[in-house]
Amino acid sequence: MNKKLLLIPLALLLAISLVAIGCPATPTTPPTTPPTTTPPTEPTTPPPDDIDTRDSIVIGQAVSLSGPNYVIHASGAMVPQTLWVEQVNAEGGIYVEEYGKKLPIEWIQYDDKSDHGTMVKLLEKLILEDKVDFIFPPCSTSWLFAAAPIANKYEYVMLGAEGGAESLEELVQDLPYVFLVLNYSNTQIPVLADQFVEWGVKTVAINFLEDLHGVEYSNRALSELTKRGIEVPVIKSHPFEIQDMSPIIKAAQDANVDAFCNMTYPGQNILVTAQAIELGYNPKVFFGTVGPFALWFRDIFTAPTIEGLIGGGAWNKKSSPAAAEFYDASMDRFGEGGIDMWGNLYYWASLQFFQQAIEKAGTLDQKVIRDIIATETFDTCLGPTWFDEKQRLAEECHPGEIGQWINGEWEVILPKDKATAEPIYPKPPWPTP
Amino acid sequence: MNSLRVTPKSFLSPGIFLLILVLLAASPLYVSPYTIVLLTTIFMFVILTVSWAIFSGPTGYISLAPAAFFGVGIYITAMLGKELPLLVVVGIGGLASFVLALIIGALTLRLRGIYFAILTFGLVELIRHFLLFWETNITGTRGRIVVLVENDVIFYIMLAILVLLMLTTYFLRRSKFGLALQSIGENEEAAAHRGINVTMVKVIVFAISAIFMGAAGAIMATKWTYIDPYIAFNPLFSFLPALMAIFGGMGQLYGPVIGAVIFTYLEEVLTTRFPYYYMLIFGVVLVVAILYLPNGLVGLLPRLWRRRWRKGGSAKQNAST
Amino acid sequence: MIKIILDVVVAGLLMGGIYALIAVGFSLQYGVARVLNIAHGEFIMIGAFITWTMYTVFGINPLVSLAIVGPIIFIIGFLLHKVLFARLRISSPSPAAYEGKSLLAAFGLLYIIQNVAILIWGAEVKGYSYLTSSFSLWGAVFATNRLVATLLAIGIGLAFYLFLARARIGKAIRAAAQDPATASLMGVNINLVLALCFGLGALLAGFGGSLISMMYSIQPAMGFQYTIIAIIVVVLGGLGSILGSFIGGFILGLVGSIVAYWQPALSLVAYYVIFILLLLIRPAGIMGK
Repeated sequence: MNKKLLLIPLALLLAISLVAIGCPATPTTPPTTPPTTTPPTEPTTPPPDDIDTRDSIVIGQAVSLSGPNYVIHASGAMVPQTLWVEQVNAEGGIYVEEYGKKLPIEWIQYDDKSDHGTMVKLLEKLILEDKVDFIFPPCSTSWLFAAAPIANKYEYVMLGAEGGAESLEELVQDLPYVFLVLNYSNTQIPVLADQFVEWGVKTVAINFLEDLHGVEYSNRALSELTKRGIEVPVIKSHPFEIQDMSPIIKAAQDANVDAFCNMTYPGQNILVTAQAIELGYNPKVFFGTVGPFALWFRDIFTAPTIEGLIGGGAWNKKSSPAAAEFYDASMDRFGEGGIDMWGNLYYWASLQFFQQAIEKAGTLDQKVIRDIIATETFDTCLGPTWFDEKQRLAEECHPGEIGQWINGEWEVILPKDKATAEPIYPKPPWPTP
Repeated sequence: MNSLRVTPKSFLSPGIFLLILVLLAASPLYVSPYTIVLLTTIFMFVILTVSWAIFSGPTGYISLAPAAFFGVGIYITAMLGKELPLLVVVGIGGLASFVLALIIGALTLRLRGIYFAILTFGLVELIRHFLLFWETNITGTRGRIVVLVENDVIFYIMLAILVLLMLTTYFLRRSKFGLALQSIGENEEAAAHRGINVTMVKVIVFAISAIFMGAAGAIMATKWTYIDPYIAFNPLFSFLPALMAIFGGMGQLYGPVIGAVIFTYLEEVLTTRFPYYYMLIFGVVLVVAILYLPNGLVGLLPRLWRRRWRKGGSAKQNAST
Repeated sequence: MIKIILDVVVAGLLMGGIYALIAVGFSLQYGVARVLNIAHGEFIMIGAFITWTMYTVFGINPLVSLAIVGPIIFIIGFLLHKVLFARLRISSPSPAAYEGKSLLAAFGLLYIIQNVAILIWGAEVKGYSYLTSSFSLWGAVFATNRLVATLLAIGIGLAFYLFLARARIGKAIRAAAQDPATASLMGVNINLVLALCFGLGALLAGFGGSLISMMYSIQPAMGFQYTIIAIIVVVLGGLGSILGSFIGGFILGLVGSIVAYWQPALSLVAYYVIFILLLLIRPAGIMGK
């Protein structure tokens, strides 16, 4: 009797494997993938064997569409990615020489439920089973970390979106197919620290989120600030679940620091800003990494309230005519919720870059396209755009590192040669209600 | 039900058992590469669910600690994966979970019912938050990258763990421990009166069940590539085994297996086919299943069997394919 | 020194008021209706989002919104019990089986409610500014909206306590909590009482959500963290003890505040340490028998 019970599960497993034989790798799209065996450098490439059947380019993405991580995707790269796919398809698609025609994009999205394990599994499904032509990255730094080795293993080009970290940069050196698009602490913190010196900031309080983002930004800030002779008497951290930031604010207030820096995500930056307003805490500099760059962030507090608030970023309509065009397109399609004035122009540029790389390659071969991305310069909304030897979007192409709310507009203030307005210092006190 | 007994008995002999094993073991030769990935995930959930049911099934103690054992395994690989051979790491993962379970069991198994459930849940959260605090504030660790391992290797190790678990479950059920556990579930005081060392039996079975969760975590970590405390000690991995086991039906040994397989497969289909409505559909399925399948999916099987049987001989053919 | 003590103690009490409110709802649902409502936080989330919508779209004062949020969420909770939990209760062979199943059903609800909220409101973090002034107590400064929220939480809690103690239906609820079988023999419509309890628990969660939206940012995935707080508080106060939950909320708020003064990152660790120690030493909770 018991033996029988033991065997039934195994019979079930057998059934699964039988099902697996019955329907091996059911593709949801026409059988695709061009031959990748031919060395791409050879001048006479035979036509791909799917030249008659292919009628689209399939891009797959395993990303958080539910759970806590969805919010970062929904207000971040989802906007440029959606716009790009729509625009490309409105023009008939991307011209690929090998096929002698324009191929529209088919975008498959799977929900990773904000779970890393699921993301990794679904990414492999997209690559192995759906045999998509390209992948879009998942959302947020630690997800990029998890996806990067997988993309590289199967030699799929991955242009990162939301997220970046100095330790990710180290990892990427061994992963030739992975490129980082967004700017992060290594370019943002030094210019901010220089500006602090210029303003005469003597003391800083740091409040960081207990994840990769917070740890990296706070470490970098600590070293860059102390290097410049600025003291950091208060350094506190908070996990995701904390709602009450008042002990941290009061600690900064008691230490009477000049600048209060919050290395954390939108939800937490809203909390810390709201509670600083309530407590009437007015440091000369109020800085938050992720969050302040959004129009909805301004609207939560109203423009006069957050006058002078500084944050990570940055770009705006004045950055370039192409930036203004993208801004208007985002606004038309997604409303104010779609305006992210830190990352979205970076992602938009990376997609324009990607499109030109495919067109230049004239093939869908990952290796050829990877080499083009690594070496070529294309014109995008950021002007001439290229990736540096560390596979990062070159610092020269960044539209800006740090932004500030001035007269209800998100202005680029650092670095100085890309600034769209003169920074305000000190931050005016919160208006009294 | 009686008419059925004939078929399984003759059908499922030890020879068939081996055949199934061989078929599964050989599956990398004949199924698509992604099917191997999917099977690995299914095995993982079957391991978590069945090892959860080893202890919680007979005793009725709802443990919400699996995430702790699973997470310990994950963390062992994240820390030692680069230094030691994979199999050794998996072994250490299982062992570490065993030790942790001994400690947790000894501390908590005095509590009963809902108290035990929320206490184990609290322990997982405590471990997670403490580790998080420790890593960010004391050691300054920024998450860990895990070595990549070939999918087939992960598949085989996971399969091996599953087979070991099945054998353990089978022998445990027939051993003195299994019988003692059963009587504890029926009436703990009476069992103690009969001279059973109630605490020891509970703690040891609890710890044995943790070995497999830890080993599964240790091997799964190589699949996940990036590990931090939020990922490793996700409370979802405490709830899912319980959900899957109850969903499948706890009355029989194969209930949790069926629950885990169907649950995982359903999730796979929903997250890929209906990404924006995944939670909604999943929730509805869960609620409907609870409302209309009082004994889990397993409770449904006899009903279906009977209906098919009455229809005539053609059912036999269908059932065996 | 006095300023520091005041800072810590008052902040703790201000935090505790909300904890108490959400825990009382949770306690009612578990203590009487026997549903360990893991979706409790989702009702908080719904309350918060309705209040947010009222304020930002229609300009309705969050305090006025309470009168709108309450009935809506009460009806949702009441109907959920009628359609789902009451049927589960009848079909379950034993109370223990019912507890397991209702936990599972609540887990399904958590998924459904969260997904529906994303479909209605989107996934972005939301918030609004309300009563952003502050008040000072011998040099220690606190936000006005928290004081208002805490006073309301206490007020609602007291009103609810009086309702249980004095009103006829309140007495029926207490009878049902102590002994459902006898209560139904005594002519108490047990199904109605349980549905009422579940609805009232949801209503208190909704009120909690309204008050939370006045102070904190909100998003569809916010619920679970409040569910965890509710579980901790309810254990602290003793499972099923309404008064215990109320007091437990304030205790947890105080503990959190004291630890956070020293190291905010450890406040959650402290919550769980207390929670676990209490369960090991005195599982019945501070007010349990």
